[in-house]
Amino acid sequence: MGLALWLAAGLLIATAGIPRADEARPIAQIKKVTGQAAVLRSGEHRPANVGDMLFVKDVIQTGPDGAIGITFIDNTVFSAGPSSQIALDEFQFDSNDFRGAMLADMRQGTLAVVSGDIARSTPGAMKVKTPTAILGVRGTTFAVQVYGDH
Amino acid sequence: MMWRTILTLASIVLLAGCPRQALFVVLPNAEGGGAGAITVDDGKTVTTLDQPFAAAESRAGSSAPVEESRGDIGAIFQRAIAAQPILPHHFRLYFILGSDELTAESKVAYRAVFDDIKQRPVYQIEVIGFTDTLGDLSYNQALSLARAVATRDALVRDGLDGQAISIAGRGRRDLLVPTADQTPEPRNRRVEITVR
Repeated sequence: MGLALWLAAGLLIATAGIPRADEARPIAQIKKVTGQAAVLRSGEHRPANVGDMLFVKDVIQTGPDGAIGITFIDNTVFSAGPSSQIALDEFQFDSNDFRGAMLADMRQGTLAVVSGDIARSTPGAMKVKTPTAILGVRGTTFAVQVYGDH
Repeated sequence: MMWRTILTLASIVLLAGCPRQALFVVLPNAEGGGAGAITVDDGKTVTTLDQPFAAAESRAGSSAPVEESRGDIGAIFQRAIAAQPILPHHFRLYFILGSDELTAESKVAYRAVFDDIKQRPVYQIEVIGFTDTLGDLSYNQALSLARAVATRDALVRDGLDGQAISIAGRGRRDLLVPTADQTPEPRNRRVEITVR
Protein backbone atom coordinates (compact mmCIF):
# COMPACT_ATOMS: atom_id res chain seq x y z
CA MET A 1 0.00 0.00 0.00
CA GLY A 2 2.71 2.41 1.07
CA LEU A 3 4.84 1.39 -1.89
CA ALA A 4 1.94 1.73 -4.36
CA LEU A 5 1.28 5.23 -3.09
CA TRP A 6 4.91 6.19 -3.51
CA LEU A 7 4.91 4.73 -7.01
CA ALA A 8 1.75 6.65 -7.88
CA ALA A 9 3.27 9.87 -6.52
CA GLY A 10 6.46 9.21 -8.50
CA LEU A 11 4.43 8.66 -11.66
CA LEU A 12 2.54 11.90 -11.10
CA ILE A 13 5.77 13.84 -10.74
CA ALA A 14 7.24 12.08 -13.78
CA THR A 15 4.22 12.93 -15.94
CA ALA A 16 4.22 16.53 -14.76
CA GLY A 17 7.74 16.89 -16.14
CA ILE A 18 6.80 15.82 -19.68
CA PRO A 19 6.20 18.87 -21.87
CA ARG A 20 2.66 18.84 -23.14
CA ALA A 21 1.55 19.91 -26.57
CA ASP A 22 0.38 23.48 -26.46
CA GLU A 23 -2.61 23.49 -28.79
CA ALA A 24 -2.49 27.25 -29.29
CA ARG A 25 1.10 27.34 -30.54
CA PRO A 26 1.72 27.04 -34.29
CA ILE A 27 3.76 23.96 -35.17
CA ALA A 28 4.32 24.59 -38.87
CA GLN A 29 3.87 27.10 -41.68
CA ILE A 30 2.52 26.48 -45.18
CA LYS A 31 5.30 27.39 -47.62
CA LYS A 32 4.05 26.20 -51.00
CA VAL A 33 0.67 25.38 -52.52
CA THR A 34 -0.24 24.21 -56.02
CA GLY A 35 -3.76 23.36 -57.20
CA GLN A 36 -6.30 22.38 -54.60
CA ALA A 37 -5.12 22.10 -50.99
CA ALA A 38 -7.01 22.45 -47.74
CA VAL A 39 -6.58 22.27 -43.99
CA LEU A 40 -9.15 20.36 -41.95
CA ARG A 41 -9.31 21.95 -38.49
CA SER A 42 -11.95 21.14 -35.84
CA GLY A 43 -14.15 19.53 -38.50
CA GLU A 44 -13.96 22.54 -40.80
CA HIS A 45 -12.25 22.75 -44.20
CA ARG A 46 -10.22 25.89 -44.88
CA PRO A 47 -8.33 26.60 -48.10
CA ALA A 48 -4.58 26.26 -47.59
CA ASN A 49 -2.71 29.50 -48.26
CA VAL A 50 1.01 30.17 -48.35
CA GLY A 51 2.00 31.75 -45.02
CA ASP A 52 -0.80 30.13 -42.98
CA MET A 53 0.17 28.55 -39.68
CA LEU A 54 -0.69 24.96 -38.80
CA PHE A 55 -1.51 23.52 -35.40
CA VAL A 56 -1.41 20.10 -33.79
CA LYS A 57 -4.38 17.93 -34.91
CA ASP A 58 -4.70 19.78 -38.24
CA VAL A 59 -5.16 17.56 -41.30
CA ILE A 60 -3.62 18.66 -44.59
CA GLN A 61 -5.41 17.52 -47.73
CA THR A 62 -4.74 17.89 -51.45
CA GLY A 63 -7.05 17.43 -54.43
CA PRO A 64 -6.33 15.33 -57.55
CA ASP A 65 -4.19 18.19 -58.96
CA GLY A 66 -2.98 19.60 -55.65
CA ALA A 67 0.30 19.66 -53.75
CA ILE A 68 1.45 21.34 -50.53
CA GLY A 69 4.75 22.02 -48.80
CA ILE A 70 5.08 22.87 -45.09
CA THR A 71 7.97 23.50 -42.69
CA PHE A 72 7.69 22.65 -38.98
CA ILE A 73 9.21 24.74 -36.18
CA ASP A 74 11.82 22.01 -35.62
CA ASN A 75 12.83 22.45 -39.32
CA THR A 76 11.24 19.21 -40.49
CA VAL A 77 9.91 19.65 -44.04
CA PHE A 78 6.87 17.83 -45.41
CA SER A 79 5.67 17.96 -49.00
CA ALA A 80 2.62 16.08 -50.20
CA GLY A 81 1.54 15.27 -53.75
CA PRO A 82 -1.98 14.95 -55.20
CA SER A 83 -4.89 13.22 -53.42
CA SER A 84 -3.07 13.12 -50.11
CA GLN A 85 -4.33 13.25 -46.55
CA ILE A 86 -1.97 13.64 -43.60
CA ALA A 87 -3.01 14.31 -40.00
CA LEU A 88 -0.55 16.13 -37.73
CA ASP A 89 -1.53 14.02 -34.72
CA GLU A 90 1.20 14.84 -32.21
CA PHE A 91 3.92 17.45 -32.03
CA GLN A 92 6.04 18.57 -29.10
CA PHE A 93 9.22 20.55 -29.43
CA ASP A 94 11.48 22.40 -27.00
CA SER A 95 13.49 24.97 -28.94
CA ASN A 96 16.04 25.23 -26.11
CA ASP A 97 17.30 21.64 -26.19
CA PHE A 98 15.77 20.66 -29.58
CA ARG A 99 14.07 17.65 -28.05
CA GLY A 100 10.52 16.64 -28.84
CA ALA A 101 8.21 14.09 -30.41
CA MET A 102 6.19 13.96 -33.58
CA LEU A 103 3.56 11.65 -35.03
CA ALA A 104 2.00 12.17 -38.45
CA ASP A 105 -0.84 9.96 -39.66
CA MET A 106 -0.48 9.38 -43.38
CA ARG A 107 -3.85 8.16 -44.59
CA GLN A 108 -3.47 8.45 -48.33
CA GLY A 109 -1.27 9.85 -51.07
CA THR A 110 2.41 10.68 -51.39
CA LEU A 111 4.65 12.43 -48.88
CA ALA A 112 8.31 13.44 -49.08
CA VAL A 113 10.06 14.31 -45.81
CA VAL A 114 13.30 15.93 -44.74
CA SER A 115 13.51 15.44 -40.98
CA GLY A 116 14.64 18.18 -38.61
CA ASP A 117 15.74 18.75 -35.02
CA ILE A 118 13.35 16.27 -33.36
CA ALA A 119 14.64 13.26 -35.32
CA ARG A 120 18.24 14.40 -34.84
CA SER A 121 18.17 15.08 -31.10
CA THR A 122 15.65 12.48 -29.94
CA PRO A 123 16.20 9.09 -31.65
CA GLY A 124 12.93 7.26 -32.23
CA ALA A 125 10.80 10.33 -31.44
CA MET A 126 9.61 10.99 -34.99
CA LYS A 127 7.11 8.58 -36.51
CA VAL A 128 4.86 8.43 -39.55
CA LYS A 129 1.89 6.14 -39.14
CA THR A 130 0.34 4.44 -42.18
CA PRO A 131 -2.64 2.05 -42.25
CA THR A 132 -0.28 -0.93 -42.49
CA ALA A 133 2.97 0.01 -40.76
CA ILE A 134 4.67 2.62 -38.62
CA LEU A 135 7.69 4.34 -40.05
CA GLY A 136 10.42 5.32 -37.59
CA VAL A 137 12.76 8.11 -38.65
CA ARG A 138 16.48 8.08 -38.07
CA GLY A 139 16.97 10.91 -40.58
CA THR A 140 16.75 12.55 -42.90
CA THR A 141 15.24 12.26 -46.40
CA PHE A 142 12.59 9.71 -47.26
CA ALA A 143 9.21 9.30 -48.93
CA VAL A 144 6.02 7.37 -48.30
CA GLN A 145 3.14 6.43 -50.55
CA VAL A 146 -0.13 5.14 -49.16
CA TYR A 147 -2.59 3.74 -51.66
CA GLY A 148 -6.20 4.82 -51.23
CA ASP A 149 -8.91 2.21 -50.71
CA HIS A 150 -10.35 2.39 -54.21
CA MET B 1 17.39 -23.12 -42.98
CA MET B 2 16.19 -24.38 -46.35
CA TRP B 3 12.62 -24.62 -45.08
CA ARG B 4 12.81 -21.05 -43.87
CA THR B 5 14.02 -19.94 -47.30
CA ILE B 6 11.18 -21.84 -48.97
CA LEU B 7 8.64 -20.35 -46.56
CA THR B 8 9.99 -16.85 -47.13
CA LEU B 9 9.89 -17.32 -50.88
CA ALA B 10 6.35 -18.73 -50.64
CA SER B 11 5.17 -15.75 -48.59
CA ILE B 12 6.76 -13.33 -51.07
CA VAL B 13 4.93 -15.08 -53.93
CA LEU B 14 1.65 -15.01 -51.97
CA LEU B 15 2.06 -11.34 -51.00
CA ALA B 16 2.93 -10.40 -54.57
CA GLY B 17 -0.61 -11.39 -55.53
CA CYS B 18 -2.11 -8.82 -53.15
CA PRO B 19 -2.34 -5.13 -54.04
CA ARG B 20 0.35 -2.87 -52.70
CA GLN B 21 -0.87 -0.83 -49.71
CA ALA B 22 2.12 1.36 -49.03
CA LEU B 23 5.61 2.10 -50.30
CA PHE B 24 8.48 3.38 -48.13
CA VAL B 25 11.62 4.81 -49.74
CA VAL B 26 14.89 6.33 -48.53
CA LEU B 27 15.95 9.26 -50.69
CA PRO B 28 19.41 10.80 -51.10
CA ASN B 29 19.78 13.97 -49.04
CA ALA B 30 19.16 17.08 -51.07
CA GLU B 31 21.91 18.99 -49.27
CA GLY B 32 25.04 17.80 -47.51
CA GLY B 33 25.19 14.38 -49.17
CA GLY B 34 24.46 10.97 -47.70
CA ALA B 35 21.07 9.39 -47.34
CA GLY B 36 18.46 8.92 -44.68
CA ALA B 37 17.56 5.87 -42.65
CA ILE B 38 14.11 4.64 -41.68
CA THR B 39 12.52 1.65 -40.02
CA VAL B 40 9.24 0.12 -41.16
CA ASP B 41 7.37 -1.72 -38.40
CA ASP B 42 4.26 -3.67 -39.41
CA GLY B 43 3.71 -5.13 -35.93
CA LYS B 44 5.41 -8.41 -36.84
CA THR B 45 8.67 -7.44 -38.46
CA VAL B 46 10.85 -4.35 -38.51
CA THR B 47 12.64 -3.53 -41.76
CA THR B 48 15.53 -1.07 -41.69
CA LEU B 49 16.29 0.91 -44.84
CA ASP B 50 19.49 2.96 -44.88
CA GLN B 51 20.69 3.20 -48.48
CA PRO B 52 19.61 5.71 -51.13
CA PHE B 53 16.58 4.38 -53.01
CA ALA B 54 16.22 1.39 -50.66
CA ALA B 55 12.50 0.58 -50.50
CA ALA B 56 9.95 -1.52 -48.63
CA GLU B 57 6.33 -2.18 -49.43
CA SER B 58 3.25 -3.34 -47.56
CA ARG B 59 0.97 -5.98 -49.01
CA ALA B 60 -1.82 -7.69 -47.04
CA GLY B 61 -0.61 -5.86 -43.92
CA SER B 62 2.90 -7.32 -44.12
CA SER B 63 5.94 -5.30 -45.11
CA ALA B 64 9.16 -6.42 -46.78
CA PRO B 65 12.04 -4.89 -48.71
CA VAL B 66 11.35 -4.44 -52.41
CA GLU B 67 13.39 -3.46 -55.46
CA GLU B 68 12.05 -0.24 -56.92
CA SER B 69 13.82 1.50 -59.79
CA ARG B 70 15.00 5.11 -59.41
CA GLY B 71 12.84 5.98 -62.37
CA ASP B 72 9.70 4.55 -60.77
CA ILE B 73 10.48 6.23 -57.43
CA GLY B 74 11.03 9.52 -59.24
CA ALA B 75 7.72 9.17 -61.05
CA ILE B 76 5.71 8.18 -57.96
CA PHE B 77 7.02 11.04 -55.81
CA GLN B 78 7.59 13.65 -58.52
CA ARG B 79 4.71 15.92 -57.47
CA ALA B 80 5.43 15.56 -53.75
CA ILE B 81 9.12 16.38 -54.23
CA ALA B 82 8.27 19.32 -56.51
CA ALA B 83 6.16 20.77 -53.67
CA GLN B 84 9.13 20.76 -51.28
CA PRO B 85 9.76 24.20 -49.78
CA ILE B 86 13.25 25.72 -49.76
CA LEU B 87 14.95 23.83 -46.92
CA PRO B 88 15.73 25.62 -43.63
CA HIS B 89 19.23 27.06 -43.41
CA HIS B 90 21.47 27.93 -40.44
CA PHE B 91 23.96 30.78 -40.25
CA ARG B 92 26.46 32.15 -37.72
CA LEU B 93 27.57 35.75 -37.57
CA TYR B 94 30.39 36.93 -35.30
CA PHE B 95 30.82 40.12 -33.29
CA ILE B 96 33.56 42.46 -32.13
CA LEU B 97 34.65 41.99 -28.49
CA GLY B 98 32.14 43.45 -26.03
CA SER B 99 30.05 44.89 -28.87
CA ASP B 100 26.88 44.30 -30.86
CA GLU B 101 28.73 45.27 -34.06
CA LEU B 102 29.53 42.54 -36.58
CA THR B 103 33.13 41.70 -37.51
CA ALA B 104 34.21 42.78 -41.00
CA GLU B 105 33.92 39.20 -42.31
CA SER B 106 30.45 38.77 -40.82
CA LYS B 107 29.26 42.03 -42.39
CA VAL B 108 29.90 40.31 -45.71
CA ALA B 109 28.34 37.04 -44.51
CA TYR B 110 25.25 38.99 -43.44
CA ARG B 111 24.44 39.62 -47.11
CA ALA B 112 24.22 35.85 -47.69
CA VAL B 113 21.75 35.55 -44.81
CA PHE B 114 19.66 38.38 -46.23
CA ASP B 115 19.73 36.91 -49.75
CA ASP B 116 18.70 33.49 -48.42
CA ILE B 117 15.69 35.00 -46.67
CA LYS B 118 14.71 37.14 -49.68
CA GLN B 119 14.37 34.11 -51.97
CA ARG B 120 11.62 32.66 -49.75
CA PRO B 121 7.97 33.57 -50.46
CA VAL B 122 7.28 33.40 -46.71
CA TYR B 123 9.79 33.04 -43.93
CA GLN B 124 10.30 32.56 -40.21
CA ILE B 125 13.60 33.63 -38.69
CA GLU B 126 15.10 32.83 -35.28
CA VAL B 127 18.04 34.82 -33.99
CA ILE B 128 19.82 33.68 -30.82
CA GLY B 129 22.68 35.72 -29.36
CA PHE B 130 25.69 34.36 -27.44
CA THR B 131 28.87 35.70 -25.82
CA ASP B 132 32.25 34.46 -24.67
CA THR B 133 33.06 34.00 -20.95
CA LEU B 134 34.63 37.41 -20.42
CA GLY B 135 32.53 39.37 -17.90
CA ASP B 136 29.80 38.31 -15.53
CA LEU B 137 26.52 36.53 -16.21
CA SER B 138 24.19 39.52 -16.30
CA TYR B 139 26.54 41.60 -18.49
CA ASN B 140 26.77 38.74 -21.00
CA GLN B 141 23.05 38.04 -20.89
CA ALA B 142 22.38 41.66 -21.87
CA LEU B 143 25.15 41.63 -24.51
CA SER B 144 23.85 38.42 -26.11
CA LEU B 145 20.37 39.87 -26.37
CA ALA B 146 21.78 43.14 -27.76
CA ARG B 147 23.49 41.10 -30.52
CA ALA B 148 20.21 39.40 -31.41
CA VAL B 149 18.38 42.75 -31.37
CA ALA B 150 21.03 44.39 -33.57
CA THR B 151 20.72 41.54 -36.08
CA ARG B 152 16.95 41.80 -36.17
CA ASP B 153 17.10 45.58 -36.53
CA ALA B 154 19.48 45.26 -39.49
CA LEU B 155 17.16 42.77 -41.21
CA VAL B 156 14.14 45.00 -40.61
CA ARG B 157 16.09 48.06 -41.86
CA ASP B 158 16.81 46.09 -45.02
CA GLY B 159 13.09 45.55 -45.52
CA LEU B 160 12.23 42.24 -43.86
CA ASP B 161 9.14 41.69 -41.71
CA GLY B 162 10.01 42.12 -38.03
CA GLN B 163 6.96 40.06 -37.04
CA ALA B 164 8.59 37.02 -38.65
CA ILE B 165 11.79 37.37 -36.62
CA SER B 166 12.05 35.99 -33.10
CA ILE B 167 15.02 36.84 -30.88
CA ALA B 168 16.61 35.45 -27.73
CA GLY B 169 19.85 35.85 -25.77
CA ARG B 170 21.60 32.94 -24.11
CA GLY B 171 24.47 34.93 -22.58
CA ARG B 172 27.60 32.90 -21.93
CA ARG B 173 25.73 29.60 -21.83
CA ASP B 174 26.05 27.23 -24.82
CA LEU B 175 29.60 28.12 -25.82
CA LEU B 176 30.45 27.10 -29.38
CA VAL B 177 34.05 26.59 -28.29
CA PRO B 178 34.37 25.49 -24.63
CA THR B 179 36.77 27.74 -22.71
CA ALA B 180 37.74 28.54 -19.15
CA ASP B 181 36.04 31.42 -17.35
CA GLN B 182 37.05 34.99 -18.39
CA THR B 183 38.39 33.88 -21.78
CA PRO B 184 37.91 36.07 -24.84
CA GLU B 185 37.00 33.75 -27.74
CA PRO B 186 35.93 35.24 -31.08
CA ARG B 187 33.96 32.14 -32.13
CA ASN B 188 31.75 32.37 -29.04
CA ARG B 189 30.77 36.01 -29.75
CA ARG B 190 28.00 35.21 -32.18
CA VAL B 191 24.39 35.01 -33.23
CA GLU B 192 22.96 31.80 -34.62
CA ILE B 193 20.30 32.37 -37.22
CA THR B 194 17.78 29.82 -38.45
CA VAL B 195 15.91 30.73 -41.61
CA ARG B 196 12.93 28.64 -42.69
